[in-house]
Amino acid sequence: MSEAILEAPGSGAPETLANPVEQAISALKERFPEAVVDDPRDGYSGLVVPADKLTEVALALRDDLGFDYLSSVTGVDLIEDGKLEAVYHTYSIDKGGSAVVLHVQVDRDNPVIPSLVPVWPGADFQEREAWDLLGIQFDGHPDLRRILTWDGFHGHPLRKDWKEPFYEEDTKPFGSRWPAGGVLRAEELNPYGQNVQYPAGWVPTGDEYDVETEMYAITGADLAYSIDASQQMKTDKITVNLGPQHPSTHGVFRMVVQLDGETVVDLKPVMGYLHRNHEKIGERNTFLGNIPYTDRLDYLSPISNNLGYVLAVEKLLGSVVPERAEWIRILTVELTRIANHLWAIGFLLNDLGALQTPMLYFYIERELILDFFEALTGARMMNNYMRFGGVAYDLPDEIRGQATMEFLNELVHERLPRAIEQGDNLMTHNEIVRARSIGVGVLTRKESIAYSMAGPMLRASGVNYDVRKAEPYSYYEQLDFDIPVYYNGDVYDRYKVRMDELQQSLRIVRQVLPHLQATEGAPIIDGKPSYAIRTPQPGEAYGRVENPKGELGFYVTAKRRSSSPERYHVRAPSFINLTSLGKMCQGHKVADIVVILGSIDIVLGEVDR
Amino acid sequence: MTFGQIALWGLVVGFVMSMVIITGFAYTTLLERKVLARMQARVGPNRAGYIPLPGRGGQEKKLLAGFLQPAADAVKLFFKEDPTPGKADKVVYNIAPMLAVIPAILILAVIPWAGKIPGLVPEQYSYFAIVPGLNVAVLFVLAVTSISVYGVVLAGWASNSKYAVLGGIRASAQMISYELAMSLSVLVPVMIANSMDLGVIVEAQRGGWIVFLQPVAAVIFCIAALAELQRAPFDLLEAEQELSAGFNVEYAGMRFGMFFMAEYMKMVSLSAIAATLFFGGYRGPFVDQVPVLGFVYLFVKIFIGLFLMIWIRATFPRLRYDQLMLFGWKRLLPISVINFMIVAVFIVLAQEGVFAPITRLFGF
Amino acid sequence: MPNQILVDYLPLAVLLGIALFFAVLLPILSLNLGPKRPSQRKQSPYESGMTAIGEAQRRLPVKFYRIAVLFILFDVDIILLVPWAMTFRDLGYYGLVVMFIFMFMFILGDVWVWKKGVLEWE
Repeated sequence: MSEAILEAPGSGAPETLANPVEQAISALKERFPEAVVDDPRDGYSGLVVPADKLTEVALALRDDLGFDYLSSVTGVDLIEDGKLEAVYHTYSIDKGGSAVVLHVQVDRDNPVIPSLVPVWPGADFQEREAWDLLGIQFDGHPDLRRILTWDGFHGHPLRKDWKEPFYEEDTKPFGSRWPAGGVLRAEELNPYGQNVQYPAGWVPTGDEYDVETEMYAITGADLAYSIDASQQMKTDKITVNLGPQHPSTHGVFRMVVQLDGETVVDLKPVMGYLHRNHEKIGERNTFLGNIPYTDRLDYLSPISNNLGYVLAVEKLLGSVVPERAEWIRILTVELTRIANHLWAIGFLLNDLGALQTPMLYFYIERELILDFFEALTGARMMNNYMRFGGVAYDLPDEIRGQATMEFLNELVHERLPRAIEQGDNLMTHNEIVRARSIGVGVLTRKESIAYSMAGPMLRASGVNYDVRKAEPYSYYEQLDFDIPVYYNGDVYDRYKVRMDELQQSLRIVRQVLPHLQATEGAPIIDGKPSYAIRTPQPGEAYGRVENPKGELGFYVTAKRRSSSPERYHVRAPSFINLTSLGKMCQGHKVADIVVILGSIDIVLGEVDR
Repeated sequence: MTFGQIALWGLVVGFVMSMVIITGFAYTTLLERKVLARMQARVGPNRAGYIPLPGRGGQEKKLLAGFLQPAADAVKLFFKEDPTPGKADKVVYNIAPMLAVIPAILILAVIPWAGKIPGLVPEQYSYFAIVPGLNVAVLFVLAVTSISVYGVVLAGWASNSKYAVLGGIRASAQMISYELAMSLSVLVPVMIANSMDLGVIVEAQRGGWIVFLQPVAAVIFCIAALAELQRAPFDLLEAEQELSAGFNVEYAGMRFGMFFMAEYMKMVSLSAIAATLFFGGYRGPFVDQVPVLGFVYLFVKIFIGLFLMIWIRATFPRLRYDQLMLFGWKRLLPISVINFMIVAVFIVLAQEGVFAPITRLFGF
Repeated sequence: MPNQILVDYLPLAVLLGIALFFAVLLPILSLNLGPKRPSQRKQSPYESGMTAIGEAQRRLPVKFYRIAVLFILFDVDIILLVPWAMTFRDLGYYGLVVMFIFMFMFILGDVWVWKKGVLEWE
C-alpha cells in the first residue's frame, strides 16, 4: 500500500501509467531478493532493509533507479521490540511523486548502522541528530558529534526510557549539594535581580573549561601557518566565532570559521542553542494539542507548518477536506509565502548592508498580510489555524472596517504588485547588489541534490523541483502557476527565485479568490470539530508541504486508537539547508559568510526545534 | 594686532567654534537618525524632547520631536561604565580616542566661514576663520586627516582582541588608500586658484564654482571623503555583518562616544572642505554687501552635503572590503592622476595663450 | 621675537590646546561619572559571546604592510607635486614637461605594482 497513487491528468486507469515508486520497489526487490522486504507492520508502507545491505540499496536507488534525493533521515525508538530504527525517505527529482521509504532496524544494545554520508552528504546533520537524540551510531560518519544538545550531555533524550536526571531518575545521579538538607537556590545567592551591586568578595566566574577550545583549536597536525608561496612569509590561520551573539546570524546560531587572512578555509555551523525538545513534547501532546507547537517551528510561516502537520495526521485519520477549506488553506499558505519572502528578501538586503531600507519598504505590505491573519485567526503570527479535516475559522466578514473580499482584492491586485515592483526597481539591477551577490556562494546542481537542499536553494541551482508540482497536495493541481528556476546557484539567483516566487504566489491567490467568493457559506471542516482525536488504525505517515524555506516534512507514527503520536519528527528545511553552508563559504571572504547565510534563509526555530 | 590680542581672539573664536561644532555634531546624529528614518518609512526618535501642540480631535502633535535626543545620548554615554580590557596596552588604549578626536576638531581651524566681517576679523586677514592666516591650509587639512588614521589603527591594536586588531588594520588600510585619490583631487582647486589658502580659493570662485570647471575632481573628492569617513557604502568595518564592530569593540562609555564624535565631526568638516573647495564656500548672492550671510550660505551647503551623505547611506548596500580596495587603487587613483595631468595641461596652455584665438572667436 | 608667521599660527596652537582640553576632559569625566565594577568576564576580549580561542595580536597578513608602504611612496610623490602646483604657472611649458616626466615615474610605478599583483585580494 503506497501513500499516494500518482494519477496523470487525463489518463485512463492508473495501471497504464506505472507509479515510479512501485517500479522502484519492485526493481529493488528483484535485485536484493532476500534482503529487501515489504514492511510487515500494519499501516507501514515502506521497505525493511538489513543494516549491512543499506549502502548497496542506497547506491542502487540513487544511481540506477533515479531516486537521487534523500529527503529525510529519522530515528525511531521501538522499545517494545528492543530495536532502534532509522527511516529514510528518498525521492526522485525527475519523476516526482512520493517516496521510497527504507526502514533499517538494529538492536538497542548495539545500534550500528552504516552511514549514508558517502552516498548523500545531506544526511550529515540528520544522522548526527539521530545519534544525539536516540543513540544510533552511524558507522563511517565523518564527524559524529552531538548537534542539538551540548557536547557534555549525558544520555539520549528521545529514547522512551530516558529519564530526566535529578527529576525523574529513580536514584539521583548527582549527590545533593546540601547533604544537611536546607535547599538553597542559586537564584537567591545571585542578586541579578538588583543588578546594581555585587556582594562584597563575590566574583562571577569567567573561565570555565570549554570543550570548544579543544575541539576547534588548530592542532599540530593541521597546518597552523599557511605559507604564502610567492613571498616566503608565513601568515597565521585563525579561528573565530561568528555568533551566537551576533546581530546578523538570524538567531542564536554560531559558526566557527577558520580564516586564512580574510579568506574562509573552513566553516562549521554549531546549532542547538534554541533546542526546545519539540519532538519529545510532540509525543506527549495529543494530536490536536500539537498544532500550536508547530507554529513555533518556522515562526515566520506558522500556517504553513500547521498545514504540513495536519496533512500528515490526516493521512492517519483518513479525513476528507471540504472544498472551501482547501481554498482557504491555499489562500493562507500562499499569503504566508508572500509574507515570508518579503521578510527574507528584506533580510538578505540587510545582510548586504542596505541598512533596512528595502526591508522596511516591504514590511508595509507584510503588515497588511499580518492584519489579515489577525482578523482571520486571532493572532498575527502564531496562528494555530489548521485542523484535521479543514480549518478552524471561516473568513471574517470585515477587516479593519473593510469587507474582506474587497480588502483581499485590493491587496493582491494593487498593493502587493506595486510593492514588489518598487522593490524590484530598487534592488535587482543595483550595481552594488549585483557585485556582492553574483558568483557568491555557488552551489552546483549536483551538489544541491546531493546535499538534500530544498526550496529556493534547489531551484536557484537549476533543479526544477517543487513539492506543489511533484507531489501535489490540496488543490494545487487545479491551479495554474510556474516554478521559477535559475541556473547559476549563487546568492543573486536565490534572490531572483524568491522575487519570482512572490509573483507566482500572487498569481495563485488571484485564482483562488473567485473560488472563495463562489463557495461562501460552505463548510470548512470535515464533520464536527472534535477534540478527542484517536487514530483508528496504526501506521506511519509522512506529510510534506512546500514551505517558503523548503520542503517541510512531518513524520508521524501512531498506534491503534492512540491519542498522541508515537514518534513525531520534523524534517526541517532550514536545518538541512545548513549542511552546505561550509561548502558554499569556502574560498570566500568573511563578509560573504553573512550574505550566504542570509540567502539560505534560516529560522532558528526550525533548525533547532 | 599684537601677540596677546591674537591669542585672545584665537581663544575666544576657537572656543566658540568648537562649541558650535560639538553641538553641530550632536545634532548631526539626530539629523541622520531622523532623515534615515523618514527615508525608511518610519519616524526617528521622537520622545526625548518635544513641544506638545494640542491636536485637533486626535493625538497631540509633537513639535521638534526628539530634539533632546543627542543630549540624552551624551548623558547616557557619560554615565556608562568604562571597563578597560585586561590585557590591553594602557597608554595606547587611552591615547587612541584622543588621536581620533583632535584631528576632527583641528580641520575646522582653517575653514573660512565668512568673508571679511569688519570688527570680527583682524585687519590683515581677508576672511573669517579660526586660523585665518594659514597659507598652506590645504596641506594642513591633508596632514591632519592623515593623523586621524593613527587613532583608528591604535584603537584596534591596543584592544588586544582578535576582531579589533584586524578591524583597525583594515580600517586604516581603507582610509589611506582613499587618501591618495583625495589628495590628487584636492590639488585641482589649488592649481585653479593658484594658492593653498582656503580663503583665496573661495575668492577665486567669484566667477563661478570650481565644480562647474572640474566636476570630475569634485566627484572624486566626494567619493574619497565618503571612504575616509567610513560611511556607506564603504562602511563594512563598522557593520554588524563583519566580525562585530571592528576596531572600537572594546571601547565603552564616552570613549566610544569619542570615536563616534570624531566620525560625525569629520563628516561636517569634510563637508565644509568640499563646499569650500568646489562649491563656492561662503559665497552666494549678496555676500559682498552683507558679509554675515557667508555663515548662512556655508551652513546651507554643509547641510546639503550631510543630507547627501545620509541619503546615500539609506540607499546603497555595502561594498565588500576587497571590492572597496580595488575601487580605490585601480579605478579612483588612475582617474585622479589623469585628471590632474589634464588640468595642468589646460591651465598652462591657457596661460600661454594657446586658447586665445578660440576664445576670441567666441567673443569672450 | 614673534614674527608674522608665528602670529599667524598662534590661533592654531590655541585651538590645539582647546582640542586637547576636550579630548582629555571627556575620558576623565567618563571615568569619574561612570560606575566601576570590574569583573573577570568584563575584562576578557569580546568574541560573540564565546570564550576567545587563541591569542590576539598574531601575525597579520602581509598585504596590509604592502598597502602601507605603497601609500607612503605614492603620498610622497603627491606631496612633491604640491609645490609644483603652486608655482607651475610661472614655469610654463618647461614645468609641464618636468611634471610629465615626474608623473611618468609615478604611473610607471603604479602600473608595475598593478601588474605584479600587489593590489589583488584587498
